[in-house]
Amino acid sequence: MNCARRLARIAIRGFAPYARVTARESAKCLNPYGSGVQTLRAFHVGFGHLKDQPVSRGDEHPGHEGSLVTHDSLFEQAAVEAQTKAMFNRVLEVFVRKDIRRRGHVEFIYAALRKMPEFGVERDISVYNKLLDVFPKEVFVPRNFIQRMFNHYPRQQECAVQLLEQMENYGILPNVETKVLLVQIFGEKSHPMRKYQRLMYWFPKFMHANPYPVPRDLPQDPLDLARLSLTRVAADPDACVTVYQMPYTDVSETGADVSLPYIVGIQSLEQRSLLAKHDASRPVFVEGPFPLWLRKTCVHYYVLRAEPVPPEEKVQEPVDPERSFFYPLELNLDLERDLGDDDSFDVDEVEEGPIFAMCMASRGDQATLAKWIAGLQQTNPMLSRVPTLFRLESAPREIQRAGESEQVEPGLEDEPPHRQAMKQ
Amino acid sequence: MYTELKFTSACFRQHEIFAVSTSAVRRSSYRTSFHGEYRRAGQPRDNSPPWKKIRFSFAKGVEGVQKHFWLLKEEILGRWVGPQGRPLKEHMLEQTRVQWDFRGPDSLKQWIVSSDQEIGGRSEVYLKLSRNNSTCLVYGTLCSTPPRDGETRYSGYCTLCSKRLLGSFDRKKHIDWTSFNTLHLRIRGDGRPWMINIATETYFSHQKNDMYNYFLYTRGGPYWQDVKIPFSKFFLSSRGRIQDNQHPIWLDKVNTIAFTLADKADGPFQLEIDFIGVCNDRAHTEDFAYELYKRNPEV
Repeated sequence: MNCARRLARIAIRGFAPYARVTARESAKCLNPYGSGVQTLRAFHVGFGHLKDQPVSRGDEHPGHEGSLVTHDSLFEQAAVEAQTKAMFNRVLEVFVRKDIRRRGHVEFIYAALRKMPEFGVERDISVYNKLLDVFPKEVFVPRNFIQRMFNHYPRQQECAVQLLEQMENYGILPNVETKVLLVQIFGEKSHPMRKYQRLMYWFPKFMHANPYPVPRDLPQDPLDLARLSLTRVAADPDACVTVYQMPYTDVSETGADVSLPYIVGIQSLEQRSLLAKHDASRPVFVEGPFPLWLRKTCVHYYVLRAEPVPPEEKVQEPVDPERSFFYPLELNLDLERDLGDDDSFDVDEVEEGPIFAMCMASRGDQATLAKWIAGLQQTNPMLSRVPTLFRLESAPREIQRAGESEQVEPGLEDEPPHRQAMKQ
Repeated sequence: MYTELKFTSACFRQHEIFAVSTSAVRRSSYRTSFHGEYRRAGQPRDNSPPWKKIRFSFAKGVEGVQKHFWLLKEEILGRWVGPQGRPLKEHMLEQTRVQWDFRGPDSLKQWIVSSDQEIGGRSEVYLKLSRNNSTCLVYGTLCSTPPRDGETRYSGYCTLCSKRLLGSFDRKKHIDWTSFNTLHLRIRGDGRPWMINIATETYFSHQKNDMYNYFLYTRGGPYWQDVKIPFSKFFLSSRGRIQDNQHPIWLDKVNTIAFTLADKADGPFQLEIDFIGVCNDRAHTEDFAYELYKRNPEV
């Protein structure tokens, strides 16, 4: 036993650089039984016998004997210089080069996972692969059925599972390099490998589940963002976006800041025809701001709408048979639909007024929206004859319901929210 | 009944329902069936005997007696009309059913809202009827800072959960959706992705936190959105973790439906629901959307 220890010391001291290089190389080439690594493996069945042999730590803090230096501090030192991917990779390399045995790699990896958002690399698969590379290879692969049964190296497996879970949280799909690394580090029948398999099964199934996908990189320009969000909510491919005013900042002659907000509006042909048919005696309302979330950004839009027409005043226009020559638009057949043939829901349709147009503006005050209305009047001459009322709230609120009173009542429109009913 | 509600809402509290992006995980040790009521992290265990928790009240007692006997009468007389009190023709032939609609303030009593304030977070959620008393509005603020109790790592969720059906004398009743295959919702959201959780009646205690989930993507905007999700798309998850062994949802004993928001975007949110119905889409032939054969393949 003692001679084995001495052999270990000699081998590691003497062959340390060689062993390091070959470990790296064999990690890169996919041969698990590379010649150089075999020597290293034969000497350590666990690290127990190396405890009495302190490894030379020439690059430790010389002036801080006995002080607790956490792995977080390495990242904090790096963060002081620059919070970039290159800096993060450098910290990883420093750790990897410091010790062939990667002492404390589990804590280091946990610290790195915590610090990733600060360096802005949490969505980068290459950084995760590099972090996974910190694990020493082939040490944790179980070699017989007993080791496989008894959750070999549970802390390291848990650490790798947490790494994959952070990838899952940020929605990053692992790649083949991740799989190769996991196989080299933990073997095929391990918890991290199972987690990887689950990610690779479920992610592709749900990646395109959203019928209204939002692009990951939203446009920076507020006009483009407004255009994107308005086309999204308009729900009509015929809707056309108009920019009524471009953003403008200038210093006037007197030195005062003159800044004009942008106004982007959208209106579809159907909305235009509805506005043309609108009764001039009934007012239209400009309401807002309403929130719209695109991933993590919230934008606000305003709506031009009217109150719903009460049923007694509703005029049912006769359908023009020449609108469609291929099939009749209405059938007056005297058929009774049985329960088994009825696909409609037995619920009253919610009464809501028609919506005529929507817009987004950087400033939601009455003057800006009046400019929007003025711009709309050019394409909808009816609008100049109809009284327009403004129902603007300082804070975003729920979309208006039918049957509102006509005065602006910002105070009364929202009841004070009651305590959430946890104990109903 | 209160215990049952706590169980149901406990499984919605302890969820990080998204399979792809999670935000509320409690990393507590999983005890199988003995822990009973939910215990918030950092709180001492409540060891008071159950008989001390009873609150006697005469008025409530009278109200309870009236309510339960009225329900019992309805049930007995309803059997003469047909199964579950509805005519047999309707039971056999219906192709659509409106399960929950929000016409009137009584409809809100069937729903309960909860958020991560139960585990110490700071999200708020409220439920109210919209104007015109015809739709409900779930609104509030999401805050994903985790509570500082040393064990919770993620936070930031809000839920709107339906209370389970109770018959006379608080007997459990279930909802039968066997003749339908699609869930139809009419909602108006603000662009946030929600998740629908359906809890069914289970037999074994290990299945107590089982839920069938699917995503509810809202478009946002002032127009109503009709969402049709076939039941074959719902995947099984337990305590917020998607399971390896999947099977289609059993529709004969559905207990509750819930809507969860946990998309890690801090800020206000709102969702308006017009009605929740089920329908039988005769063109939908899929049995189940996920693999049923080799679940944990050999590597």
